[in-house]
Formats: sequence, structure tokens, C-alpha cells
Amino acid sequence: MIEIPEDKLIRCPICEAVNIDKGKKNVCRRCGSFIYKHSVFSTEKSWAYLITAMIAYIPANLYPMLITKQFGTVESSTILGGIVMLWEQGSYPVALIIFFASILIPVLKFLVLIYLLISVKYPLGKDKRVNKHKLYFMTEAVGPWSMIDVFVVAILAALIHLANIEIIAGTAATAFAISVFFTLLAAHAFDERLIKENK
Amino acid sequence: MKLENEDELDSLILCKHCHTVHKEVPIKDGTKACCSKCGAVLYRYDSKLLDHGLALSMTGLIFFILANLFPLVKIEILGHEQFITIPRTFISLFDSGFYLVGLICSFLIFIFPLMIFSINMLIFMLLKRKRGRKLSKELLILLSHITPWNMSDIFLISILVALVKLIGYAQIHMGMAFWALVVFVLIDLYVTKSIHVSEIWMLRKRVFLDDRNVEES
Repeated sequence: MIEIPEDKLIRCPICEAVNIDKGKKNVCRRCGSFIYKHSVFSTEKSWAYLITAMIAYIPANLYPMLITKQFGTVESSTILGGIVMLWEQGSYPVALIIFFASILIPVLKFLVLIYLLISVKYPLGKDKRVNKHKLYFMTEAVGPWSMIDVFVVAILAALIHLANIEIIAGTAATAFAISVFFTLLAAHAFDERLIKENK
Repeated sequence: MKLENEDELDSLILCKHCHTVHKEVPIKDGTKACCSKCGAVLYRYDSKLLDHGLALSMTGLIFFILANLFPLVKIEILGHEQFITIPRTFISLFDSGFYLVGLICSFLIFIFPLMIFSINMLIFMLLKRKRGRKLSKELLILLSHITPWNMSDIFLISILVALVKLIGYAQIHMGMAFWALVVFVLIDLYVTKSIHVSEIWMLRKRVFLDDRNVEES
């Protein structure tokens, strides 16, 4: 007979089996993978990925995302420029989708992750109005959608390469892909157990 | 909370969204259990999970192969015809020197979806034949590592967005692979929604537990 308080139960991030939190080294009893083994460097890994992502996000917005070569004239547009162009052309839904995917979601995700990472270390937002588990789940679910813009550029570049008209991906595509990749890594590296400890 | 032993932890469930602890109760075939706090689905019970899973993953795999073999969209621009397939999308990125983006894209829209469905099929086949206790475990762990990186649904939306950008410049014809991709994404969404990794783990436990009992008796 074991007696454990309810908040000592943790979920394995790999196989989702319920485990008992034994403190330092937790190995999942079902799949054998470590459940956040770094107890000393609990948030540092996530911070590192997040900062990399934020740095990559700066050139992603400054450099051109899409370069259009049309009858000798070269036109390049950044992410924001592309959205404005779409809006002016009247394709509002698409402009909104791109705006959500490549501006709003990444920025919100940065902010939420920063908030979560700070709040598990320092007593911030201790009121229980915000369910941090839910917040974390939302960022995880919504994160991959930022890749839309990179895919769109890849499709356009693959589709249009004629002698006179050509679309090439810009430097921002690489930067943006890296940024999204690292935000996803940062979210995965975040130790959900810490939310519980600091409730 | 009192427990007999560690195995009894299997009857507990933590809500994926809000981390509330629940005790698993038997439910009717084909129904689902929801979290009492936030309403998210906790688990489903499907007595034919094995057959359903196998059928779905095989169908998905067939549609994925179709989606990769045929052109996705064809456009006519200034009298020229151009088409793309899924592999050509990322190969053209390699051609134009975007190795990193090409690599990321090829994994997200080609390698991972292919792997997920092959692994699913393999797991269900192993469980059906009651073999590969260790292999199925390794495969399940691999599966949960790569599932969050499958982005074929996002790729589908991206195709539509790209086409909207081309309206007015070119004539657009949907290819056969596009419809195959739509079906694949629908199956993919259905599988990720209805067959949860933890359900496959439970199934695996049941399969090999029965097996052990038979051997002993």
C-alpha cells in the first residue's frame, strides 16, 4: 500500500503514463524514458532555445521573404509587406491567416513562454485565475501553424520558375524556419512539472 | 490517495489540458470520457481498436503514396504549364540553395508523416500477431517523439494560401494528388484525434498480458 498526495502525480511526456514524482531522477515505469531529468537546469534549456528563436525572428522580419522576378524587374517583399499587399488586393481572409500565422502566433508564443518560464522561477501570477497548464497546451497546439508562410514560399518557388517570371525564396525563409523550429523545441523542453511545484 | 501498488497508476489519468487527476471508469463501447473540469476528452473505449487502427493506417499510407506520386496542382501561366508534387516542393528548395529550409520542410511534410503511418501500421500488425513485445515499445516511444512534428495539415492549408496568391496571374487546375492529400489529412486528423498514444499503450499491455496468462496456464 502506497499513499501519495494527488499533486505528486506526474505524466510522462512521452507515453503519458501516470507516474509518481520521486524527486530527482524520474524514469517512466512504462516506457523507461527520463521525465525531465535535469533538476538543476530546469528552465535553462528552454530559455536557450527561446532566445535563439527570438534572435532568428529579427532577420526573419527584416529580410525579404519572397523575391519576384518579373520581366527583368526584381521585387522583394518582407513578411509584413506581403500581408499589406494581400490586404490591399482585397484577399482579406488570406491576409489575416498569414498575419495570424507569422506575426501574431510567434510573438504570442514568445510572450507566453517567457511568462511561463519566469513564473515558475519567481512568484509571479500566483493567483489561480490563469490555468498555466491550459496556457502551455494552447501554445503547443498552435505553434506549428507558424510554418504556413515558409510552406507557401516553398510552394510558390517550386511552382513558378519560368524564363520571364520567377519566384525565389528570400533569406527570411531560412531565418523564419529556424525561428519556428526553435520555438517548438523551447516548448517541448519546458518542464511541465514546474508549473505544479510553483502553483 | 491510496494505491495498492504501482500498477494501479495505470487506472489513473491526468487531463492533458488542465492536469486534473481522474480515475478511469469502464465506459460503453464507442464512447468517450471527458474531463470533469475542462471538458477535454480523456480517453475513448473502442473494443475493435486494433482493427480500426490497422485499417486507418493502411488507408492513410495508400493515400499518402498517391499524394506523392501525382501532381498536386497544375498552373498555366503565359502559355506555360507547370506542376508541383510534394517531393518537388522541397527538392526545388535544395536546388535554389536553401538547404536548411529544404531539410526542415522535407522532414515536416514528407518523412515524418510517412514514418508515423508506417510505424502505426507496424505497431498494430505486431499487436495483432501478438509478437514483438520489445519492438512495439521502441516504436511507440519513437512515435510519440515524432508525432508533434507532423505538419501535413498545415501544408494543405499552405497550398490553398499559395493558390489564392496566384489567382489572377495564372489558371489553376487541381491535380489528383491534391484530393489524395485532402483525404490523407482527414485520416491523419481522425487518427490523431481518436487514437491516442496512451490507448495504444493500454492495448499493448492487454495484448501481452493475455499472452502471458495463456503461456502460464
